Amino acid sequence: MSPDTRQGIVDALPMFIPAIPFALVFGIVVGESGVPALIGWSSSPIVFGGAAQITLLTLLGEGASVAAAATAALIVGARHLLYSVTVAPRFQNQPRWFRWVGPYVLIDQVFALTAVDRNHSDEGFRHYFLASGFTFWTLWMSFTGLGLFVGPIIPSEWQLSFAAPVLFMGLLTVSIDRWQKALVAVVSMIATAALADLPNRSGLLIAALIGVALGLLMERWRR
Amino acid sequence: MTALLAIVLTGLGTYGMRAVFIVALSRKPFHPMALRALEYVAPAVMGALVVSMLITPAGEMALGVPELGGLASAALVAARTRNHIAALSVAMVVFWLLR
Repeated sequence: MSPDTRQGIVDALPMFIPAIPFALVFGIVVGESGVPALIGWSSSPIVFGGAAQITLLTLLGEGASVAAAATAALIVGARHLLYSVTVAPRFQNQPRWFRWVGPYVLIDQVFALTAVDRNHSDEGFRHYFLASGFTFWTLWMSFTGLGLFVGPIIPSEWQLSFAAPVLFMGLLTVSIDRWQKALVAVVSMIATAALADLPNRSGLLIAALIGVALGLLMERWRR
Repeated sequence: MTALLAIVLTGLGTYGMRAVFIVALSRKPFHPMALRALEYVAPAVMGALVVSMLITPAGEMALGVPELGGLASAALVAARTRNHIAALSVAMVVFWLLR
């Protein structure tokens, strides 16, 4: 096992803890949706994206059409387009199979890790990316399965789900290495709050695009 | 079966969104300016994710003193220690104490 593979596994394990409440919430949502448990769970390997899965199963449970439910889930997941273009340079000097396998595990946490940990060779990046990605994958498959059974019995007043925004707050802070990035993050946070009532969480995407546009403007002013 | 169809469509779409630029831009050299612009995607999306996770299904912000205290302590600890797991642990304790 290469050091980068080991590092990927070690970094992924504690980062999965905040995802556990989501796996349990997912179990509750599947139970309430009326979709057979195994089919609901199959969204874990097929989609592998917590927010999109929860959105999809919630809407199916509310009787939405296939097209409406899938469209809403894809809007929720649209930030993955930004991840794809952002990590694309790191995939250029890679074997072809990695460009097809890697995207399957390009989730929020893996993207955040690549933003925090940037000093890898091409081979090291590949090992780190796959190790962290498939560690998350294995845990997500297990815990969403477990969530089908234990999700409904966890007391909701623990508010474990607050761990998720807190984790990303920490990752965000660690990844900031110049003040322009801090400003972009703050503007994007304010914009998301201002757009909170847009349907399908589309405010997230619009706010992120506003933040990137601001970053671009600042880059132009620098020269 | 309609549920499975919706799941498969969402899965294909999600994979497609994750793969499209990685596969399409595998040979095209990136302009240095584009590379610098891309550096802003991470702070922009992560900032938006943090806030978006505090929005209730009804579209309201769940942001009181415990949440603000938790987020602020996460940022402080992360800035000092450069360790996001330490930040997570401290912030959850602060959140539970303030609640």
